[in-house]
Amino acid sequence: MASASDRSYTRRDTVLFLVCLGLSLVGLFSPAKWGHGISDSLRDTVLAPLVWLQARAEEGRTSRARLKAITIQRDSAAILAQGIPSLVVENERLRQLLTLSRRIPTPYVAGEVLHQAVATDGKTLLLDVGRSDLVSEFDPVISPEGLIGMVLTSAERSSIVMTWAHPEFRVGAYTAVGNASGVVAPSLSSSGGEGALEFRGVPYRDSVPAGTLVLSSGLGGVYPKGIPVGTVTGVVREQAGWERVYRLLPAANPSSVAHVLVLVSSDATSMERAFPSDSALEAMRLDSLARIRAADSIAAAKARRADSLAAAKIRRDSIISVRARARRDSIAAARPRLPPPPDSAR
Amino acid sequence: MSASRASRIQLVLIMALLVLLHFYLRPRLWSARVSPDFLLIALVLFSMRAGPGAGAVAGFLVGLVNDALTPTAFGAGALAHTVVGYLAAWGRAVFFADNLLVNAGFVAAALWVRDLLLLVASGTPQGRLFVELTLNSPLQALSTAVFALLVLAAFREWFAIRLDV
Repeated sequence: MASASDRSYTRRDTVLFLVCLGLSLVGLFSPAKWGHGISDSLRDTVLAPLVWLQARAEEGRTSRARLKAITIQRDSAAILAQGIPSLVVENERLRQLLTLSRRIPTPYVAGEVLHQAVATDGKTLLLDVGRSDLVSEFDPVISPEGLIGMVLTSAERSSIVMTWAHPEFRVGAYTAVGNASGVVAPSLSSSGGEGALEFRGVPYRDSVPAGTLVLSSGLGGVYPKGIPVGTVTGVVREQAGWERVYRLLPAANPSSVAHVLVLVSSDATSMERAFPSDSALEAMRLDSLARIRAADSIAAAKARRADSLAAAKIRRDSIISVRARARRDSIAAARPRLPPPPDSAR
Repeated sequence: MSASRASRIQLVLIMALLVLLHFYLRPRLWSARVSPDFLLIALVLFSMRAGPGAGAVAGFLVGLVNDALTPTAFGAGALAHTVVGYLAAWGRAVFFADNLLVNAGFVAAALWVRDLLLLVASGTPQGRLFVELTLNSPLQALSTAVFALLVLAAFREWFAIRLDV
């Protein structure tokens, strides 16, 4: 192998470096649409096998296939699987997603997030669903916890999501109690807090207490109304007595999310029913728990009945066999003794 | 088959293996932000052996792949990787690059520099930049360096690596 230390750094090396640097800068300062076009075509052609490979690997890791197998072999494997913390978390997330998907009134597509090993992962996410799954630009992306972002570009079998951590993210929002409305944007100042959102444009007279839930307002036509965006944690700044900017704790974390739902037809339908308040959710959970308990008790009663029937059958069989044996014995005892055969007399 | 042709084939095989590991093994490991970056290992190892020009081109291509998969700021990845590829080849002439630990150190440093350039070029806010560079990047640099050590140790004959430290 040629050793680089033996090589004199030629003008050719410098030219190549400068050309690559120039191309990178052109990419960086060119319109975003060009960049998205290039990345879409790269993902659809050269990188398609690699994206496919990663999707399979993610699938293996997030154990969708394993979950199916566990469901089938539930009786024997569920107890063991429940003991593994990562699977417990994964199961919980998938259950939440399943519960959410039942409550969503609009069509949706479930997607797997293919996380990348670079520092900017989290501002944009790569999904394993694309145009072939009816995913298109500006489709809202949600998780069971709340809003993740929207589809920025979609290729044939993959798409890029702009999350709320992206500097260009904006969503019209209002407080769950309905006393204030504004625009939510990622916090870009160091005072805003790491990984936080800002609830901007709230009139000075409207005071929003900490702990208030902020939902998407549906204005702007991209995000449907009623998706949780975050919870107010405090005031970031006040501007000249006419506006307050509040700090929000985001409802969903794009860096750790493994599965998301893409709302492929987000018309004006409100999503408030899909994200009920805590008390409503608790009531639903209790209701489903009661149903499960009722089903369990019926199953247990059936099992007990089957056991008692089996026991009764065994008892009946044993009584019959004892009686039959006793009858045979008594018949044998009542039978007269025959004289010995002639051979023995001899 | 000539020696240089054989070593080129060996290098290509290792690069292909690292690409496979990046897309098939890495997602199965820990969180994406601390799991090893096999593409960066491939880039550094290639650049250190192929020279600055080829290193810059390879860095540009690896950066383009990253930009296609996470287009937060298209071109930022290409810029960061081009510089890293060029610097890795340049660093080879300055340090003892036949040493196992020096190679692993190169990989760790390259990853940190890559993250710094990438975050700055993509306009990351100050607070997040600080957290990324002091927490996530060092952890990822460590995990990447460990895997680079394993790769180098496994293929030390092909890379002409010394095991004395």
